[in-house]
Amino acid sequence: MENKEVLLKVENLQQYFKSGKYENRAVDKVSFEVYKGEVFGLVGESGCGKTTTGRSIIRLYDITGGSVYYKGERICAGTRSYKDAIAKAKKDLKEGLITEEQFVEIYEANKVEIEMAKADHKKWRRTNKGNNLINEIQMIFQDPIASLDPRMTVRDIIAEGLIIRGIKDKDYIDQQVYKILDTVGLVQEHASRYPHEFSGGQRQRIGIARAIIMNPELIIADEPISALDVSIQAQVINLLHELSEKMGLTILFIAHDLAVVKYFSDRIAVMYFGKIVELATSDELFKHPFHPYTRSLLSAIPVPDPITEKNRKRVTYNPMLDHDYSSEAPTMREVYPGHFVLCNTEEFERYQKECEETK
Amino acid sequence: MDKKLEVKNLQISFRTQGGIVKAVRNISFDLYKGETLAIVGESGSGKSVTSKAIMGILAGNSIVEGGEILYDGQDLLKISEEDYHKIRGDKIAMIFQDPMSSLNPIMRVGQQLTEAMILKAKTGKKNAKNAFNGLLKLLGEKINAYDTQYGENNAATVEANIKEFDSFCIESTKIEELFNDAYGQATQLEVDAENLVLLLKKNVKVDLVNELKSILKLLTESIHPYVIADSVDVQNYITKLTELTSVKYLENSAEIIELVSSVDKLAEEALKQEKPNFFTLGYYKLKNPEVNLDSINVSEMNKMTRDYLDENFMLDFIKMAEKGVKYSHEESMRIKKETLPLIDEVLAYFENGEINEKKSKEIVKPLVQKVDSAIDRLIIKKNSTEYVFHSAIEGSIREYFNGVKRNPIEEKIYLKNQAKYQKLIDSGKSPDWVLKPQIVVDLDLKLENICKVLKHLKDSYLKDIETESVFSINEKVIDVIDYLKEQASKLVVKMTKQIAKAKAIKLMEEVGIPEPKIRFNQYPFEFSGGMRQRIVIAIALSANPDILICDEPTTALDVTIQAQILELINQIKKDRNLSVIFITHNLGVVANMADRIGVMYAGKIVEYGTSEDVFYEPAHPYTWALLSSMPDLETSERLESIPGTPPNMIYPPKGDAFAARNKYALDIDFELEPPMFEITDTHFAATWLLHPNAPKVEMPKIIQERINRMKKGRE
Repeated sequence: MENKEVLLKVENLQQYFKSGKYENRAVDKVSFEVYKGEVFGLVGESGCGKTTTGRSIIRLYDITGGSVYYKGERICAGTRSYKDAIAKAKKDLKEGLITEEQFVEIYEANKVEIEMAKADHKKWRRTNKGNNLINEIQMIFQDPIASLDPRMTVRDIIAEGLIIRGIKDKDYIDQQVYKILDTVGLVQEHASRYPHEFSGGQRQRIGIARAIIMNPELIIADEPISALDVSIQAQVINLLHELSEKMGLTILFIAHDLAVVKYFSDRIAVMYFGKIVELATSDELFKHPFHPYTRSLLSAIPVPDPITEKNRKRVTYNPMLDHDYSSEAPTMREVYPGHFVLCNTEEFERYQKECEETK
Repeated sequence: MDKKLEVKNLQISFRTQGGIVKAVRNISFDLYKGETLAIVGESGSGKSVTSKAIMGILAGNSIVEGGEILYDGQDLLKISEEDYHKIRGDKIAMIFQDPMSSLNPIMRVGQQLTEAMILKAKTGKKNAKNAFNGLLKLLGEKINAYDTQYGENNAATVEANIKEFDSFCIESTKIEELFNDAYGQATQLEVDAENLVLLLKKNVKVDLVNELKSILKLLTESIHPYVIADSVDVQNYITKLTELTSVKYLENSAEIIELVSSVDKLAEEALKQEKPNFFTLGYYKLKNPEVNLDSINVSEMNKMTRDYLDENFMLDFIKMAEKGVKYSHEESMRIKKETLPLIDEVLAYFENGEINEKKSKEIVKPLVQKVDSAIDRLIIKKNSTEYVFHSAIEGSIREYFNGVKRNPIEEKIYLKNQAKYQKLIDSGKSPDWVLKPQIVVDLDLKLENICKVLKHLKDSYLKDIETESVFSINEKVIDVIDYLKEQASKLVVKMTKQIAKAKAIKLMEEVGIPEPKIRFNQYPFEFSGGMRQRIVIAIALSANPDILICDEPTTALDVTIQAQILELINQIKKDRNLSVIFITHNLGVVANMADRIGVMYAGKIVEYGTSEDVFYEPAHPYTWALLSSMPDLETSERLESIPGTPPNMIYPPKGDAFAARNKYALDIDFELEPPMFEITDTHFAATWLLHPNAPKVEMPKIIQERINRMKKGRE
């Protein structure tokens, strides 16, 4: 693992939304790394912030705090953490905990950070000119019907990215579109049709074609199969699998169906209410889940086996009962090499003990 | 087991711009009491259409080509909309995929829950009265007929007995009505008092005098020997309340809170008490109007009145009623035996194929009359085949001859249009209109339907004759009396808003909604997805249905919530002995729920069996494909997806509909449709692979391995 090249690095990502007086902390200080060529799964129940994380990375939102690095370049940056630091310093100054000089020092340092973050953020804005680094990240959306313009032909939809990039050679565009259509298992005749003429699985293929025509390195697949029939799901999963092997794609796979994520991903992060609670390789996570939320999630997966199903006991997760964070707030800790859990010291020791017993 | 619902040869099409889409093609299944039947298939396989047909909510462009949906002696496809109102929601309830779309966004949840309860109570009374009087009259007639047959004449005693039964039922209902009145007030008292205590404890300003006055009124009105019995304590409360309310203004005080909360406790206990058996009590009161039973314990009183009724009246009445039931049964069996050759005759006529309208109507008419007279109307559990025979046979004959008349006209129109179209093309123009395919009635199919109706009737008669020896008259008499009892108590059901609210809150607790009293007054948007689905389930259950249809109830929910909702449906099914039809495209969800599974493809059931059959020994290639296309936690190899898409049902493919996507397809699959092969008593599949001459094909390795693994895991 250590030798692998880090393609995407998310550091303390914060994405808050204002709702009335309050702030809705959709994503709260999430950090993870995605290695080149792997499939990284992000699971959790609806509303836990997994889609928001994906959209923040691709800059559909302006992030509130933290930073995202792609190939070592900071492509998004938020200023909240620095502003918080300044606010804290001001408060400390009032209470007399720090001296005036210390405050000025903190203030200046954070001010510089804010300027840098703003500059970085501006630099990697999505532009319609040239081959931008951020264009190497593409997204596949959940609902193929809603994400395709009903008034555009398939050719227009797929070629749109190329045209925005500034390519004017029509023959080249056509050639590229046909090639991509072939790659995703559609035929050339489909290019002149409209999205409504396709079935659900074919529509999702169009969505995939639109993403991969930009020659991306990283694809963010936001629940690409949730809206599809079971039989079509398998087609799309197989296609994504083939593509990632053939084109060497790295995929950030967001889904709530654990069986599919397990099948598809190399590493999995489990999210709960805006925080990553557990991160491990997929085999490891399913064999030795430590966090009680992961356990409850795993116990809810339906299995195609009537007798086991009838005896299945679902574990419920209640954060108020399962954790005691009154004395110490939890942080991400590495229980086992490559296996991170959100826990405090007491839990960390317990998990490590469990880990030694099972291995 | 009890058959609750029978679907026979159901065929449904939709008229669309492109032509007729054959959505459901000849499917049959039974639903038994207390079981879950799962229908699994891809979108467009016709599973939702089937459920909508059962609910009677098919889209306007649908055509029911044939078949029957039998429920409680009625064919749901042929009854009028008015009659459907009595069944839809009341007897058969449905839960839809998206909870938000089945809730009214601008109505409070509580209002939506109680709406149906209040409406139902209003209509229920009228129906109960008719049913009660009709059945009692019929019973009297049959008993008299029995006596006449054996040369006896007991008409006077019979009439007296029937009259007595009627009059003591009326007495019972009177007592029950008084009780219901008081009980209703007590329910309201409990809700109001609890509410007031809450407000007072929080020190909210209220018009205390008026509030106490209304509580006093409710308390005095709910005094009844079996609700809040009149006692010194109660009189004390009343005097205290009267004193308090005699002034103009009152301050909140600990004393008042204590008083109101003790009244609340009183009401709460009163509601938990055992209810007296009004049926037996009514008879006792009728005979001994002056005896006062108020001081006796309720369960003792129930026992006493019951013994009294049995001794003095009921045993005799049952003996007498047995005569009527026996006569009715024997008469019906006699006519059934007579009718059998007639059925054969009619069947032979239709199977012959050369039929004309006048002759067929003539030949069917006496048969219909015979069948109608052969119905044993004293049996409470109706045999649907007999009851719907009349409408079924006439309907299918009408459809056939309509087709005979209509087909040539359609063909003519089509040919004319085609010629026009061809002419335009020949002259080099491209027409701006589309040539619509002709809408022709499939006459062979219609004729087959007629024969099927007759065959079903014959089968049902033969079965009745076979089981005649085990027919228990005593059981049937008890059924009749229970039914009469039930109808009598339905006459005096009282459902006010307060009672409905109390019931709704109980129901919300049952489906696992925390703090139902607060939730009752909220709007749907204030609920999360899982909670919304729970509300929808509670609404579906509010009318106490027999059958619950769940149309993809968990598809819009995520894994943990899905598991919760499935557990809830399972729990409710067990508690209420419901029959559930569960529709989904996810086989994994079904494993926990279903007793039996029907796999649908292109409007047909291709495999049908218990859940163990389908999961451990799947036989149809489509089931294999469904199972292998979904990964489980152990899967690591490439998934076997189903290539292509479902066929266009405007032009259903020849032979097996799945053949084109099936890598195990044989040559015959493209020629001839496979029949249902029986694998075991409970397991059927429609694939030529099961034919004795077919080559031996194993199920895909991925499934075989998974099944082995599952079996190993258990050992």
